Amino acid sequence: MLETVLGAIFSFAEITDKGLASLGAGIAILAGLGTGIGQGFAAGKAAEAVGRQPDAQQKILITTIITQAVAETTGLYGLLVAVILIFAS
Amino acid sequence: MNFSFDEHLSSSIRSTILITLVLSVFFIVVGMKIKKLDPKKTPKGFLFACIMMVETFNNFVSEYMDKEKFKYFGPYLFTVAIFLVVGNTASLFGINPPLSNLGVALSFSIITFSVIKIAEFRFITLKQKVNGLLGDVKFLSPLMLPLNLIGEVSTPFTMGLRLFVNLLSGVVIATMVYSILGWIGGIISGVILHAIFDIFFGLVQAFVFLMLSTINISLAVDA
Repeated sequence: MLETVLGAIFSFAEITDKGLASLGAGIAILAGLGTGIGQGFAAGKAAEAVGRQPDAQQKILITTIITQAVAETTGLYGLLVAVILIFAS
Repeated sequence: MNFSFDEHLSSSIRSTILITLVLSVFFIVVGMKIKKLDPKKTPKGFLFACIMMVETFNNFVSEYMDKEKFKYFGPYLFTVAIFLVVGNTASLFGINPPLSNLGVALSFSIITFSVIKIAEFRFITLKQKVNGLLGDVKFLSPLMLPLNLIGEVSTPFTMGLRLFVNLLSGVVIATMVYSILGWIGGIISGVILHAIFDIFFGLVQAFVFLMLSTINISLAVDA
């Protein structure tokens, strides 16, 4: 039963190199999930800090921008893998 | 063998050469003019703006680094900052940003790695460096030594790669949007695209690279 179903699927759509690479590129973008959660949490903490002491808003802004840009890097690694898979395979 | 200078170079290498040439000529001319100034009179005009910019940069970065080390590394940091600011916003002038090429970004990693090694070579001894690599807790050193060695290489590598991926995403999205929309749509959408991807992300990444270079150099010679 399973072999006939699988045989039907594989005779209808063949699995190629390019197809698997595109599938992998789609899965690689899932690395953005953790980045979004982490950066949103840090932004919430920054907003709370500004609310607690509005005089320090300038320093908090500079610190927030630097830390967000550093934390973004791991999400960008997923994008790099996806671009490499699409254009070099 | 035959080669030509402007036919087989990729577009971001051409813009690297162009930006380096323009910035070098500009800096040399401004430097020669400032040398001829009288130290007792206040300068005015464009040279005054340049001097104020260098003063602001000195005051800002010397909070994160000692005085003696800042005298040694200040010019390098300022040059890198100016090159990155001009290079990341080069899309506004019609040329491809130089850092959208993997070679240029990895060259930045190699240069940062070399500068950190030069700083360690000049300011701390070999014994202190090996002591730092083995970690604080001595009996765990077979575990800490590979991790610290990997950390030495990976820190400059991620600094260069961060710049590359940020600018590459801007170039890819801009190319796709411009090839779909026509003339009028390209002008309208280009305003929003370049405002986000070039001005905002480009300047933030240049600032982050400067801060990370400063902090890494200062950490490496702190022992």
